[in-house]
Amino acid sequence: MRYWLPWLLLLFAGCGVFELHPYEVRGGEQHVNARALEKLPRDRGDGSFRFAVMGDIGVFLKEANDAMKDVATRDVDFVIQVGDLTEFSSAQEYGRVASLLNDAPVPALAVIGNHDLLGTGRQLFHHHFGAADLVFDYGGSRFVLFDSNSREFGYPGNVPDLDLLRAELRSPPRGGHLFTFSHVPPWHSDFDPSLKEPFEHLQAERNVVVSFHGHVHRFGSDVREGVRYFITDALELRNYLVVTVAGASVRIEQVFY
Amino acid sequence: MTRSGLMAGLLLVWLLMGLPARAESRASDAPWYVPDHASLQFAGSIGMLAAGPGWAFLDEQVDVQLLLGWAPRSVAGADFVTLTLKAQWHPFHIARGDWSIRPLTVGAAFSYTFGDRYFLTLPDRYESGYYWFKTALRPALLLGGSVGHAMPELGVPLLEGYYELVATDYRIVQFVQNPLTVNTGLFSLALGARLRF
Repeated sequence: MRYWLPWLLLLFAGCGVFELHPYEVRGGEQHVNARALEKLPRDRGDGSFRFAVMGDIGVFLKEANDAMKDVATRDVDFVIQVGDLTEFSSAQEYGRVASLLNDAPVPALAVIGNHDLLGTGRQLFHHHFGAADLVFDYGGSRFVLFDSNSREFGYPGNVPDLDLLRAELRSPPRGGHLFTFSHVPPWHSDFDPSLKEPFEHLQAERNVVVSFHGHVHRFGSDVREGVRYFITDALELRNYLVVTVAGASVRIEQVFY
Repeated sequence: MTRSGLMAGLLLVWLLMGLPARAESRASDAPWYVPDHASLQFAGSIGMLAAGPGWAFLDEQVDVQLLLGWAPRSVAGADFVTLTLKAQWHPFHIARGDWSIRPLTVGAAFSYTFGDRYFLTLPDRYESGYYWFKTALRPALLLGGSVGHAMPELGVPLLEGYYELVATDYRIVQFVQNPLTVNTGLFSLALGARLRF
């Protein structure tokens, strides 16, 4: 073997031409969620802003690409995708979706879905997006993203982690709204049934204004203990939610593209 | 990972046992289970390095290989040990002097990944049909070619270098779903060397 051959192979390996294993964890865009937060415009302070909530991507990559283009025309400040970025948790899908969100016209963050947890999925999510639990404040409101894929972990009793949520669901900094985001809605059988009521109570007690979810692939909404719940269509159906916050008012519309 | 380690050891012994046996006995008088060739492969979605014995059929037009692959945590982010069964067909064979060229190779592979976090049958926490695929088993289609050179001075009738484009099942699904979407990589690349005894 020539002495340069290993170096050449290493170079190629770095370029992504080579795949060592379908679930390998290396390369691609990293810390996408944290970078999206860095890109967020400076806090506006007047409590008026818009954001988008997108549903499951899975194998609907073309529709996801189109959605990311469409979002540029909607005057929204950022996007939150509510899980199932991938179908197989493969390294290739993760890499591609990470660059899709990273290159989106507005800052885009992702929540973890059950399909994103297969094999090395949890590690892949951590590598490309960061921690599955994330809290940030914007425009005087608070946004809490968390993992509610209880079935993937065999219902261990701490997915979602209510202790952590209890600490995170504090009053928004400047009297704005509290929004929560996770993949599986609490009344679904993939959500730990023993945590359903405590979770819904907690959300109500902390005055969560809207709780956003995906997983079901079909739009739905509900009010439970005074908290509004929305489930997004999968992106296959070419629509997503746009949330307009203007002081005390929160308006949610489904926009098609 | 001890079970995978054991598998690796067994395969290596098997491979090493096959090498001298075939060299002494030459072509057809060896029993069927003695390998006709051995391969060492880089990448191709079955490990960083994969090695194992192979058997040729139908005048070396068809090859079947069993490869044990490994990718280390330091490079691949996690330790991966896979066992791959490959079947390949070389419809053309051009021989010129010491050179042997197989310009087209088409094939299929099944790759099994060892480890608790991959499943072959759905774990109890799922209802049947919850996931339609098996995370431990990846079928793939292969497309490639090889160039070989006789090396009798090394005691090897033929040393081949090959390349392979590997389309794993999920890459095919994504590609079929999104044919016009740029950036949907259908293939990953593998490079390898094969000794035909």
